Amino acid sequence: MSEDTPISGATFGRQIVNKFPDVECTPKEDGILECIVPADKIRDVVGMIDEEIADAFPESVFGVDLQEDKFEVIYIFWSRTNRTQYHLRVSLEGSNPEVDTISDIFPGMEWHERETWEMFGINFKDHPDLRLLLLPEELEGKYPLRKSFVTDRSRLKEADRTPPKPKPTEGGASE
Amino acid sequence: MSPDILDETTEIWFGPQHVSAHGWAAKLTLVGDFVVECDPNAGYFHRSAEKCLEFRNFRQGALIMERLCMLEAFLAEYPYVQAVEKIAGLEVPERAKVMRTIMMEASRIHSLQFWWGQFSAELGLFAMLLWPWVDREFFLDAFEELSGSRHAVSYSTPGGVKYDFNDKVLEKLDIAIARFEDRMPVMRDMLMGSPTFRARTEGIGQYTLKQGLKFGLSGPPIKACGLPMDLRKDAPDPNLAYDMIDWEVPVTESEEHPGESDAYDRMVQRFREMETSVEIIRKLLPLVPEGPIVDPKARGKSNRLPEGEAYGRVEGTRGISTLWLKTTEKAQTPYRAKIRGPCFNSYYSLKHLVPGAKFADFIVVFGSLDPYPGWWDR
Repeated sequence: MSEDTPISGATFGRQIVNKFPDVECTPKEDGILECIVPADKIRDVVGMIDEEIADAFPESVFGVDLQEDKFEVIYIFWSRTNRTQYHLRVSLEGSNPEVDTISDIFPGMEWHERETWEMFGINFKDHPDLRLLLLPEELEGKYPLRKSFVTDRSRLKEADRTPPKPKPTEGGASE
Repeated sequence: MSPDILDETTEIWFGPQHVSAHGWAAKLTLVGDFVVECDPNAGYFHRSAEKCLEFRNFRQGALIMERLCMLEAFLAEYPYVQAVEKIAGLEVPERAKVMRTIMMEASRIHSLQFWWGQFSAELGLFAMLLWPWVDREFFLDAFEELSGSRHAVSYSTPGGVKYDFNDKVLEKLDIAIARFEDRMPVMRDMLMGSPTFRARTEGIGQYTLKQGLKFGLSGPPIKACGLPMDLRKDAPDPNLAYDMIDWEVPVTESEEHPGESDAYDRMVQRFREMETSVEIIRKLLPLVPEGPIVDPKARGKSNRLPEGEAYGRVEGTRGISTLWLKTTEKAQTPYRAKIRGPCFNSYYSLKHLVPGAKFADFIVVFGSLDPYPGWWDR
């Protein structure tokens, strides 16, 4: 692949905003371009990354449970030519959040979306293969990475065992 | 071949393999001898590392991370440590930076030696399994001398490293590298020059650079297409020492199919990676400065972190491994930690790379991508 002229994060951010005015782009330190994308624009923005950046590398898609039925899906792409990480953030609400799949644009994201679906219950519309990936069948629909998921302690009680000493709960742990 | 065979498809489960032999399974649909569909399955020993991280404090987390890929433990634990250092704003002493880098490269050689033996065994060359694994023992001896453990080293910690170099560690590391330099070229030429080996690997599992990027492949599988995509050079980490020395990112550009890579190219590429790692270690060893190995305030500062988000990345043996960390105010544990393992994508890409290949070549495609199940069954 020929070395393309690098486009800085800030310039690319402006290009995105010019095309899609309801996207917010902020260049950050460490060469990160953070874009807050409305859920219905994610395919457009990812399509633009695919078209404009020849060496766009799909790094990750994952969910974050912000509690009270609020979720965030974060897409991360990396471009070696531009030395920029593109962090696209989509906010979702409701107990059955939904967003369009991008796995047809970047096949490498297919399993990441599958994992986000089984772990968080975030539905990826038109995903070709939304089956359980890592979880056993009994955990289907339980969404273990949601904060509301009751962890081992209750399962120990079911099995009539003594629960372990409580761990510090501030931050990530759920009761 | 009678025409009836071509009318029918056969489903074969390749696995589940024993955990020590990877612990994975792929469902293959065959027509005759050819694979027409490949469905790699994951989840045979999922350990829910991301959930576990939410219950461990910021110094314990690195211990979970290194267990994801024991072969590259020094590298696997680093994204977590890096993310914690970013949020806590920790300074890493110069000595720790260089020591970390040296051990990460030693870990890379060790990991590649393991893969090299295992890949040869997958092709039926059992002698080539044992020879690199014998040399690998010498690296394990050095790791043991350093940390007391051969695999679960738990070396990097937020703000520095846990164990200091001493004469014995350096001596053992030197023995391991000298032995590697002495024996590797002979064994490599023996393997790569073998007509049988070439016939098994050339033109197998071939993809273009663009395809590789779309599948999310990184590390040697991409560098074998001729693109020097390497985080060590592209996104130098201020807490590592790669920018202290001159070195080149190794790439493999095939003359027959430029911009594409097959199993053979990826093998060539990995041998170059090992040579580069030796070069980096040799250049860094004289540069280890005197001083403390850990920031004395790090322990206090990493007890409770401020609210924040950070993204740690490292160029692992198998590609880019990352960790995204979110913390809440005065948190003792992460709010959310997302691990990206390079093999999650390389294992997935079998779905696209295997169809069309012969059944016997399936394992060649698999082995040439070097997927380690710990990275997908996190």
